Parts: sequence; structure tokens; C-alpha cells
Amino acid sequence: MKPTTLQDYERRLLRVLVFIQEHLDEDLGLERLARLACFSPHHFHRVFSGMVGESLARHVRRLRLERAAVRLKLGDAPVTELAFQAGFGSHEAFTRAFSAMFGRPPRDFRLEHASELRRPSPSGVHFGELDAFRSLEIPMDLNVEIVRLPPRKVAFVRHVGPYDACGAAWEALLPVLGKEGLLGGGAELLGICHDDPEITPPERLRYDACVTIAAKDEPPAGLATQTIPAGEYATATHHGPYSGLGETYAQLLGRWLPRSGRELGTSPCFEIYLNDPEGTDPEDLLTDVFAPLEPRS
Amino acid sequence: MTTQDKIDLFKQNKDEYRATARPRIVAVGRARYLAIDGKGTPASAAFQRAIGALYGMAYTIKMTRKFSGRQDYVVGKLEAVYRAKSKAFTPGQPLPKDLAWTLMIRTPDLVERGELSEAVAALESKGKGEGADEVRLETLDEGQCVQVLHVGPYEDEAPSVAAMLAHAEAEGLRVVGPHHEIYLSDPRRTAPEALRTILRAPVSR
Repeated sequence: MKPTTLQDYERRLLRVLVFIQEHLDEDLGLERLARLACFSPHHFHRVFSGMVGESLARHVRRLRLERAAVRLKLGDAPVTELAFQAGFGSHEAFTRAFSAMFGRPPRDFRLEHASELRRPSPSGVHFGELDAFRSLEIPMDLNVEIVRLPPRKVAFVRHVGPYDACGAAWEALLPVLGKEGLLGGGAELLGICHDDPEITPPERLRYDACVTIAAKDEPPAGLATQTIPAGEYATATHHGPYSGLGETYAQLLGRWLPRSGRELGTSPCFEIYLNDPEGTDPEDLLTDVFAPLEPRS
Repeated sequence: MTTQDKIDLFKQNKDEYRATARPRIVAVGRARYLAIDGKGTPASAAFQRAIGALYGMAYTIKMTRKFSGRQDYVVGKLEAVYRAKSKAFTPGQPLPKDLAWTLMIRTPDLVERGELSEAVAALESKGKGEGADEVRLETLDEGQCVQVLHVGPYEDEAPSVAAMLAHAEAEGLRVVGPHHEIYLSDPRRTAPEALRTILRAPVSR
């Protein structure tokens, strides 16, 4: 394949992958997605498997099961409801598929994570279910705020693999945007972390290296765009090396969220890098992390 | 040096940026900066606009070089030189109305003037060119300087400045150039009491 053809295929495929991540609740049949990517269904099937490393059906199924796992871990929706959201017709079929992927049935998976969250504090004070007792929890050194954000259009390059290996995506993105004048005027550098590293295998973690662009701007050829939806987000500042970001997400999602009375939204978490990792000592790095919240019911 | 090895002027000149709470005399060599001039206090809109223009240019120039495979480098820290015409400007004292400043980012000598105009054109084409054409190249040759590390809010610099000037005097030196600050911390999220700033003044016998 010529480099330009490859680039064109990658861009069309990325459009499909973004569509899948935004429409996981809908019918994601081969024909519909092939049309979106301007391929024949037969050709699309081969292109998808070849470039993503798993078939379309397996990809969609895995994302739905992983999303169900995140919801088991962080929320308290009944398993039957999660089965339905993941596109399964019955509790049993969901449990079978879930067990095959995660090595234990949904109920056990939830209990394991619940016991982590409700671990007794070192002082021996146990958490009650009442709001009044929530102040007795293990002190959390994370200052969380809820903010309402406008939509952010971003140009991005996707990295699939361990999060700490995302540097190449930045190397591919920034020079192209810089040359076009798209890094001036307060452009933000942000990372979208689609997957939970405790749930998704490292080689399948999806990370998007992003730069905000104006709604009217289009990035240079070969770069895709997506829009981070407007809405309420829980946010906190992570101080220090990027290798510690996982711990900050774990505190925000695993400790703050369950006690906040709010539910995690359906769009991905993202982080805004406030300083330049090249010219900043790792311990001085500042990163704002954002977790989407479901609107209050 | 291959293009894989980034130039990092802050690390390569670390003797010039060495500073502790105890003032010291340092030798500062000739240094090239991207620079932009303005007037007003650091809280003014003009100051913030200049910071935006300076960083926009710094990253546009760096990434354009990288795009075409030219020598890469690390974008330096924000620095500023302050002057006031009406009266002697004493950092830490109430700021004079006509406080003038030059905001600067140290930049390798290999960056050429043509790269600046190229960056201005790219930024303007995307409507991000505000102030970009005011950014210029400037070379400073400060020579011998007295220098101190100030930890804390910018408003509380007076004692650090006083200690710095007292040290120069004790060494038989007098201040011969404008007050220079090098911002090591990012004020957006750093607690004021933890802000680290190098204060510097050129001195001579």
C-alpha cells in the first residue's frame, strides 16, 4: 500500500472507531459502518480486522463488555440492566460472555471491587451507608471540583497500547499542527484515555493525543477530529510525573465518585497537560484530569 | 549531535541558573531570546496577551523546525526584565505605573529571523496571530550578576531583593543593569507560597 493510501485508510477507519465509541448503544452492523468509511462491506471487514487486529464484531463486543465491567466496578446498576446495555438478550448470556473475558462472573467482579472501595480505614472506623458517615473515610489528598465545560473540538492522533508509550502519537501530531499555526492562541494539549487499564489489556488501551482547534478549523490532511462533549465533569489537578496519573484517576473514580452521589457519564475521561514535559522536571508537572458526569436525574 | 538530541539550554547552562536562598555571584554568558515588550503590571491584560503571543511563537517555531527535520530543542522557561523610567524601580515595592517589561524565552542561536516571520504568517492564517509580529529575537550579555532564589508569592519579593542587593554591596559590586526574573514554577496551579523564581541583576565593580 502506498503511504498516502495507508494514511487515507487510517483516517477512514478512525472515523469508524470514533463513531463506535460514541454510539456503543446502537446497532453497529457491518453494512452501516462500512458505508460510513466508504468501503464495500466485504472489503471493510478485511480492512478492519487487518488494521485493528480483531474483527468488527469482536471489537464492539469487547468494548461493550469492558464498559459493563467499568460500570460494575464504579456503579450499582443491576447486572440485568448492564446485560441489556451491553447488547445481550439475557442475564445468562451476558454472564457467560463476561466470565469468558474477565475470568469471573459479573457478581464476583463487582464484589471484589466493592471490597476495595469499602476497605476499613486504618483507624478502624468503618464506613456507614449514611451521608453523615462519609466524612469518616480515609482522607483523600485530592481536591475535586465539579465544572461545566463547553464542547471541545480536537485534532488527534490515536495510540493503541500501554498508556506510557503514547509519546509517538504526540511526535506525529505536534509538528504537523505547529507548522499550520494551530498551536498558538491558547490551544490546549490534552489526552483522552478511553479505557480502564485494570479492565482492558495493555495492548488494547486506546489513547488520543489531542490539540483543541476552533470549531471552524479543519486539521491538515491525515489528521482526524472529534468533539469532547459539553457537560459536567469532576476535575482534579494531578501534581507530578505522568506515571502517577493512574493513581489520581483511581482516587477520582474509585473513591470520590462512589461517595459523590453522581454517576460516571458515557463519554471518556480526559486530561489537560498544563506544562511542557520536555522543559519541566517530572515532579513539577501539572495535569488536570476530568471525568464526565451523568446529568443529575 | 544528531537531530535526535534536543538542545536544552536550561540544562546546558545550569551554572547560570543555579540559585539558592543565599545570594551568589554568577557569570552569565551571551544568551539569545525570543522577546516581546510591553507596559503595565504583571496582572494587566497586556502582560497576559504578551505571554500568549510569546508561547504561541515559541512552539510554532519549534514544531515547524521539527516538521522539516531540523534541529529540535526544548522550549525554555519564561523570563522577564523590568524597567521603569519615572523613578528607580525597586522590585517588591509598589509597582510604578510606567513599569515596562520584556518577556523572554531563551532560544538556541540557530533559530533565524526568517523562522519568526514564517511562524507569524502561519499563526495569522489561523486567526491566532495576536501580538505574534511583536515577538523578536534579542541577545543579552549580562556578564557578572548577583542572583538569588525567591520562594513564595511574587508580591513578597522585597526581602529576597534586599538580600541580593546587600550581597552585591558586600562584595563591592554595584547594580548596572535591569532587574531580571526567571520563572521556574507555573503560577496557574502552584500554591503562591511554593512559587520558585530566580531574581537576577547584572553587577560591576
